[in-house]
Amino acid sequence: MDLLDLIDAVQSVADGVLFGATYALLGIGFTMIFGVMHKINLSYAAASIGAAYASLLVMAVLPVPPVLAYVAAAAAGGVIGGLVYLIGFRFIPLANPLATLMSTVGLLLLIDEIIVHMTDGVPLNYPALFSDVIVHVGPFGLRGDLMFVFALGCICMVLLLLLLYRSRLGLATRAVSQQPTASLLCGISTTRVNVLTFVITGVLGGIAGAMTGAAIGMLSPLLSLPLTVKGLIVTVIGGLGSIPGAIVAGLIVGGLENAFQFFRGVSERDLYIMLLLFAFLVFRPGGIFARPAGRD
Amino acid sequence: MRRLHSALAVLLAGSMLSLPGSLAAQERTVKITGFGAKSGVVRVFGINSEAAMKAAAEEINKKGGVTLGDNTKAKLVVEFLDDRCNAEEGISVVRRIASTDAFVAVGPTCSNVAESLFGILQKKVGDASDSGLQFPIFADVAAKGGLAKISEWAFRNVPSEFEMYKSLIAWVRKEHPGLKTMYGGVEKDFAHSNATYGVMKGQAEGAGLQVLGTAEWLLNDTSFSTQVRDMKRANADIVAISAHPFTTCGVLKEMARQGVKPKLLIGLTSSSSIETLQGCARQAEGIIIPTSFAPVTPEAKAAADQVAKFGGSADLHSAAAYEIMFILKDVIESQKIMAKPDTVQADREKMRKGLAALTETKGLLGKVGRTADREAIKPYLYVHAKDGSWQVLHRPAL
Repeated sequence: MDLLDLIDAVQSVADGVLFGATYALLGIGFTMIFGVMHKINLSYAAASIGAAYASLLVMAVLPVPPVLAYVAAAAAGGVIGGLVYLIGFRFIPLANPLATLMSTVGLLLLIDEIIVHMTDGVPLNYPALFSDVIVHVGPFGLRGDLMFVFALGCICMVLLLLLLYRSRLGLATRAVSQQPTASLLCGISTTRVNVLTFVITGVLGGIAGAMTGAAIGMLSPLLSLPLTVKGLIVTVIGGLGSIPGAIVAGLIVGGLENAFQFFRGVSERDLYIMLLLFAFLVFRPGGIFARPAGRD
Repeated sequence: MRRLHSALAVLLAGSMLSLPGSLAAQERTVKITGFGAKSGVVRVFGINSEAAMKAAAEEINKKGGVTLGDNTKAKLVVEFLDDRCNAEEGISVVRRIASTDAFVAVGPTCSNVAESLFGILQKKVGDASDSGLQFPIFADVAAKGGLAKISEWAFRNVPSEFEMYKSLIAWVRKEHPGLKTMYGGVEKDFAHSNATYGVMKGQAEGAGLQVLGTAEWLLNDTSFSTQVRDMKRANADIVAISAHPFTTCGVLKEMARQGVKPKLLIGLTSSSSIETLQGCARQAEGIIIPTSFAPVTPEAKAAADQVAKFGGSADLHSAAAYEIMFILKDVIESQKIMAKPDTVQADREKMRKGLAALTETKGLLGKVGRTADREAIKPYLYVHAKDGSWQVLHRPAL
């Protein structure tokens, strides 16, 4: 490997890590829902993309600056998150894990097809902030839009952690996540916590969808499936229910994806990511920050 | 109450008496069934094909419709079914169409559907040992080269990308002799993009261009930075991208970010569409794409307007569907197709025979040749993206 190859490899990894912030946010969404309800919501990434599309709709109606696209996407994500809970979880027997899983598969397809029917599947431009900015650090160039996405992702993660560890809602969420029955006995409404969890993760998902659209510069219904897969991989590698794990795993998967692509090409890239997933499932099923098995 | 009953009885009797008259006044109709993707991410292709077929049917009907074998005039009615760009569903849809009194079907959108579907048709006409479906299918969009040879019941009105890119590369060599090197980009997991990139690369090498490398990505990839960095290092004179609008735009945007400015850009036929301009008009500025449709003749302009009225967009794919309707009208008339429930199999055979006998048809850009293996040789031109629209760059003499 000559110097140019090395520079390109490092640059690829850096780009991947920056883009990995979107995976991290998606992973947090998956992991939070799993943490609270012990259910996988497979429609989460599709809902995120749906929220980003909804923000385009808002922007078409109201001539607002592009930065407000993120606010609109977050709001739409919250609404869609609440709807997903109502349709896919609220009235479906939670004791049957397959029922909720299949209902979220159905919601994934439904959201995707709604997007396709509203847009005829045509990709739409998404406003990117700082897309013309490139920060040069030695031989490397860091994209302004990706750095913005990364910074926004980090801010969202910090706010979420503050919400979870410094608020009554966060306390209730963690309580329901750890001991649902005991939480009920303490007077915590699990339904309310569940709804709020879906709304909060929906808000995060909306921002993740907007970040993805901004990083690519476009939105397409083609994004739902790969983002669902990436979100799940990040959730498993980070550890089901672990928010710090999802953050670190998102950035790792983003970086490794680009590294594998650089060294082995696009045809083999996903193969290695899957092998990484299997390695975690076998050797570290609890994820990156797995703790020794305890009473809870 | 008795008066009400009497009035109802009179009304009922009146309606019964007028029934034969109204039946007689009903126009005879011939249903042509199209099929393609109307859901999923290539839904727009199905929408455009359906609109084109309906637009053509309206044009034909306005001029009196089609004359059947018993000299009665019939109006064409278009029905369009969704195969979701899925081979199994495509086969199921065609089996359903074949179970009706339809004598031909138009479609599909996707080459993977066409390839599988043509495989269930009888391979050689009259082969008693082959129980394959004896039902003519006329493809409008499925673009992968040479599919019609799979069955003698399969026909296509799809442009030959081999001829188009052969001509384009030769033209580039003549018009831009200073361009010596090319770098390719291909959507690796899409049959059409892969096949066409093979043609682009082969023609470029054959014409003396040095192909410096190929960047590969997948249809639903979201990041192209690694590929474009390789492209930047190669610093080729020409960049040829064989990909559909979503990733074409992704790559073009990444090229703009990294400052990759080749002297010439070449794109895939399917990207000469409105979607590319909606997605990345600024970055696509100057890209050259060969296409078998542009509104450059009065017929083509009228067809584009008519298709737009039906909610579609006329492009190289939907224009083929538009032309197919007129071809079918001519064959129905020349083969004296009866379009009656008791003549279904005979009508299918007549339709197949009529289509196979064609050596030339009328196209929106001029005459369309027909090959012995049931493919089309369509006129084409080169368009380039300029000021946010596709404009004709060159029209080769054929």
